Amino acid sequence: MAALEIEGLTKDYGEVLANDDVTFTVEEGEVFGYLGPNGAGKTTTIRTVMGFQSPTSGGGTVLGHDVTDEADLIAAKRRIGYLPANPAFDEDVTGREILNLHASIKGDERRAELVETFDPPIDRTVRDYSTGNVQKLGLVQAFMHDPDLVVMDEPTSGLDPLMQRAFNDFVEAEKERGLTVFLSSHVLSEVRRVCDRVGIIRDGRLVTTENIEDLLHRTGKFVRVRVAGEVDAAAFDLDGVHDASCSTTDGRRADDRPAVDDTAEPDDTTDGAVGGRLGADAADPPRVDGPVTECTFTFTGDVNELIAVLNGRTVLDLDIEEAPLEEVFMRFYGGSDA
Amino acid sequence: MLEIARYEGRNRVRGAAAATAALGGFALLYIFVYPTFAESLGADIDQLLEAYPEALSKAFGVQSLASMEGYLASELYTFGWLLVVGLYFAYAGASLIAADVERERMDMLLSLPVSRARVVLEAFASLAVPLVALSTVVPAVVVVATEVVGYPVPAVDVAAIHLLSVPYLTACAGLGLVASVVFDRAGIAQRVAAGVLVGLFFAESIVTDTDFDAVGVVSPTRYLDPNAVLRESEYALGDAAVLAVATLALVALAVALFRRKDIE
Repeated sequence: MAALEIEGLTKDYGEVLANDDVTFTVEEGEVFGYLGPNGAGKTTTIRTVMGFQSPTSGGGTVLGHDVTDEADLIAAKRRIGYLPANPAFDEDVTGREILNLHASIKGDERRAELVETFDPPIDRTVRDYSTGNVQKLGLVQAFMHDPDLVVMDEPTSGLDPLMQRAFNDFVEAEKERGLTVFLSSHVLSEVRRVCDRVGIIRDGRLVTTENIEDLLHRTGKFVRVRVAGEVDAAAFDLDGVHDASCSTTDGRRADDRPAVDDTAEPDDTTDGAVGGRLGADAADPPRVDGPVTECTFTFTGDVNELIAVLNGRTVLDLDIEEAPLEEVFMRFYGGSDA
Repeated sequence: MLEIARYEGRNRVRGAAAATAALGGFALLYIFVYPTFAESLGADIDQLLEAYPEALSKAFGVQSLASMEGYLASELYTFGWLLVVGLYFAYAGASLIAADVERERMDMLLSLPVSRARVVLEAFASLAVPLVALSTVVPAVVVVATEVVGYPVPAVDVAAIHLLSVPYLTACAGLGLVASVVFDRAGIAQRVAAGVLVGLFFAESIVTDTDFDAVGVVSPTRYLDPNAVLRESEYALGDAAVLAVATLALVALAVALFRRKDIE
C-alpha cells in the first residue's frame, strides 16, 4: 500500500491555480522530496493532504485514508507527524506545556529522546524562542508519537547548518527504521542527502518525479572559475559542460594596492573597508600580472576531467556548487510548463 | 476528550482572575457609594430620574434609584453586566478560532487527531473559566457588600440574576464564536462581534414600546431584565431558555461553518 497517494489534485483559488491536476505516489518507507520554487504550490498540496483545505477537484489518501473525509482522515492522523512551514505555538506557554497538550491527544513515547536530540528550551515560554528553537519544538512534536508517516513543509529552513546536518542524520536514521517521509523544499542541496525520490512542481503542475540520483546527475553543478591569462570558452570544451561563458579583464597589477592604501585618508576609510581588504589579502590567491578570465558553466560530467583541464593553469578561484533549482528548470524544462 | 478545553482553560485563568477582580472592584465601588447618594437625596432621589434623558434611562434600565435593588439593576447589572461583561464574552468568543488561524497555530492543532467540531466546542468550553469565576465571585461580593453598607439585597435574587445571566453571556460568546470562524483575523472578528452586540443593545432599548418592537426580538438583552429579577423577584425562565437555545444554535452554526472552511 502506498503511504501517500495524490490523484488529480486541483486547487483553484480563482486568481491562482495553485495545484493543477497533481498526481503522484509516495511508497511506504520512502523519503520523498517535493521540490519547487517558492509559490509553486507545494504548501497547497501539503495542506490538502493534512485536510486543512479541500481540493477543487481530485484528492488522495494518506496511509489508506481519504484526505477529503474528515472522520477517515482523523484515524490516519494518529499515525502522522506534521511540521508546517512556519510552526506557530501559543506564545504565553512553555514548550513543555505545548508538548503536554500534544502528548495528551496523540501520545509521546519518543518525547524524551527527541527533546535530547533537538534540544529546544522546553521550560521557557515560546515568546522567548528564536526561529530555530520554534523549529526544534516543531520537530519534537512531529516525531514524538512515533508516527508511520511524517509530512514536513520546508523542514530545513530556519535551521542553522549544524542543525540541518543533525536533521539529515535524524531523518536517515528514521528511514532505516521504516519511516515514510514526505517533505518539501525549495533548496535541492538541503534535502538531496535524505531523499530517495523527488517530485518537482512549478506553477502548480508536477513537472517530473524521479530518483534523486538521476536528477542530480542531470542537474549537475554550477562552476565558476577564475584563471590567469586570456582563456576562451573553447578551453572547457569537454563532456558535460553547458552554457560556458568567459570574460577577460585586464586584471590588476601587483603595485595597485599599496598605492591605494597610501592615498586613502584615514577618515575616509571605514573599518569595514579596511577589514575587507585585509581579509582579502590574507586569503588572496597568487597575484598575477596581466589579464584574468572568469568562466562560468553548468557541469554534468566527471569532476576529474574538469580538474585535468584546469591542471597547468593558474587557478585563482574555483567554485563548484549545486545547481539552483531555477537553473534546473531553465535547463530541462525551458520556460514553458512542459 | 476535553484535553484542548483543559489546556485553553488553564491559559484563561489569569485573564479570568483579572476580569473578576475588576468587576468585583467595580461592584464594591458602586455599592459603597450608594448610602451617601441615597442619604443626601433622601425621598427626592427618584426626581433625579426626571433629569435623565428618557432614552438613556431606558437604555440603562434606570427605573428607580430609591432602593439598592433598583440602583444595582440599572448601574451594575444593566450597564456593568449586560453591556460590559456581555462585550467581554463576545470579544473572548471572537478571539477563539480567528486568533489561532491568524497566527497559523490552527495548523498545529488540526494536525492532531481531533475533529474540527471538537476544536470549536472545546475552545468554546474553555470560556467556562471566566464565566464561573465572574458568576460566583461577583454575586458573593454584592451580597456581602450590600449587607455591610446596610442596604441588604436578598441573596436569592442576586443568585438568580447571575444564574439567568449565564445563558445571556454564553449567547454573547456564541455571537463572537460565529464571527471568529467567519473572519480569519481576530481583530476583525472582535470588532464585528462587539459592534453587533452594542448595536443590538441600543436598538433593543430604542425600539421597545414602539411600532418596531418586534425588531428587538433578536437582541439578547431583551431576554434578561435585571429590574424584574432584583426589584420584583420575577425570574423569566422562558427567556433564559430562549438564550440557551440561541447559544446552541450559534455554536452549531460556528461548527458547521468551521468544518467547511479552508484554513489558509
